[in-house]
Amino acid sequence: MSFMIKTTINGKEVSASADASTSLLEFLRDTLELKGTKLCCNTGECGACTVIFNGRPINSCVTLAADADGAEITTIEGLAEGDSLHAVQQAFIDTGAVQCGYCTPGYIISVKALLDRTTKPTPEDIEEAVSGNICRCTGYAKIVDAIHLAADRIAGRA
Amino acid sequence: MEYFAPKSLNEALSLLDRFGNQAKVIAGGTDVMVDIKYKEEPGCLINIKGISGLAGIKENGGSLSIGPLTTIREIETSALVRDKLPVLWEAAHQFASLQIRNTATIGGNICRASPSGETLTPLLVLEAQAKFAFSDKESREAFSSFFSGPGKTSLGAKGLLTAIDIPYPAAESRGVYLKHAVRGAMDIAMVGVAVLLTPDGAKNNVQDVRIGLGAVAPTPIRAAKTEALLRGKPLTPALLKQAAAMAASEASPIDDQRSSAEYRRWIVAALTRRGLGQAWKSATGKEVAQ
Repeated sequence: MSFMIKTTINGKEVSASADASTSLLEFLRDTLELKGTKLCCNTGECGACTVIFNGRPINSCVTLAADADGAEITTIEGLAEGDSLHAVQQAFIDTGAVQCGYCTPGYIISVKALLDRTTKPTPEDIEEAVSGNICRCTGYAKIVDAIHLAADRIAGRA
Repeated sequence: MEYFAPKSLNEALSLLDRFGNQAKVIAGGTDVMVDIKYKEEPGCLINIKGISGLAGIKENGGSLSIGPLTTIREIETSALVRDKLPVLWEAAHQFASLQIRNTATIGGNICRASPSGETLTPLLVLEAQAKFAFSDKESREAFSSFFSGPGKTSLGAKGLLTAIDIPYPAAESRGVYLKHAVRGAMDIAMVGVAVLLTPDGAKNNVQDVRIGLGAVAPTPIRAAKTEALLRGKPLTPALLKQAAAMAASEASPIDDQRSSAEYRRWIVAALTRRGLGQAWKSATGKEVAQ
C-alpha cells in the first residue's frame, strides 16, 4: 500500500510516494536520492541517520516516512550554502574530527541541532547531544573539540 | 501491509476491533519500526499519532495526567514532572538517546511492556493508573496488575491506552531511579530500581516505602516483601543489608546476552541498598548510620 508524502526538505517542498513500511531514512536515500544521511544500524542505536525533524534531532531509520507528511526536515545536504560550508562542517574538518566519515553526517546534524538551541553548550549539553551518535574511529575527543570550535565561531568568540 | 492513520480514538478502536491480532499500533515507532525491518510486517499498521487529545501533561488537583502520545523528551523537559515526580523525570532523563527521546512516547514504552522499560518501575512505585479504551467500553487499572508478561498487558489486541494518571506522592517522600547498564546512553538496563521512601514525621522511621524492580522478572515488579520488612522501622545498616538481600530474592531474573541471572541478583541488592540510602538521605537529611 503506497501513498503520497508532501514534505519540506532543506527548505524545498517535495512530494513523492512511499510504501506504508518505508522509513524516513529509506525515503530520503532511495526515493529522494539524498544519500548524505547514512544507513548503519537501522535500529535507532547509532545515530548515523540523524536528521532534524520539526526542529528536533531524530533517528530517521525508526521514523515512518508517512510521518514526514507536512513536516520540515533538515538533512546534511541542507547545511552548506553553495561552496561555503556550515560552521559545524568546517569545525569538524579543522579539528580532524573525521576519520572514515561514515558517522559524520549524523554527528554534524546532532551538533547543529544543539547549537541551534544554544551557542554556549555545557559539557553536559554536549554529552547529551551526541550520546546517541556512535563513532568507531576518532575516540570522540576531537569531535568534542569540533563542537567547541563551532560554538565559538557561531557565537563570534573565535 | 495495510496502513491506517485514524484521526479519532473511535476510529482507531474500531480498526483494532476489526483487525485485532493482525494489527500493530505505531506511535513514535522506535520499537515498531525495528520489528518491521528485522522481524515481520504486521498485516496492518495503525498509526495513532494523528489522534488529537492523546498528548500532553495536565495537572488535575493532586495528580498528573499524561497522554500516551507524550514524548519522553516532553516528560524530561516538563518542569511539573521534574518538580512533582522526580523519580519519573530521572527515568526519562536516562532513557536511550536524545534522538530517541524526541520520538519515543511514554505510551509506547508502556504498551511495549518490556520488563526493562525505563518508565515502568517509576510508574509502579508512584502507584499510577492506566486509562484505556476498547470499542465498547472504557477501563482503568493500576499498573501493578496491568502488565502480564513480556509484551503483554490488559490491552490485549483491541485496547488502546488513553491516559496515564499519576497521583502525587507525599510531599515528604523522596524518589530515586537507578539503572545499571554498560553504557549510559542507548543501552537497555540490566537492572533498573525505583525507590520511593516516606519517613515518619520525626524522620526517624520509614513510614512508607515502595520499591520497583525492572528487567529481573517477566514484568516490572514491586518488591512487596522488602517493603513490608522496612515499614515502620529506622533504616539501620543491618536493616539495609537485610532489605537488599530480600529484594534480590524477590527478583526472578533470566540469563541473557546482557548479563547472567546471578549477576542481576547482585545488582538488585546493590541498587536497592544504594537507592534506599539515597532516598533516606534526601528525605531525612541523615546518612544511614554506620
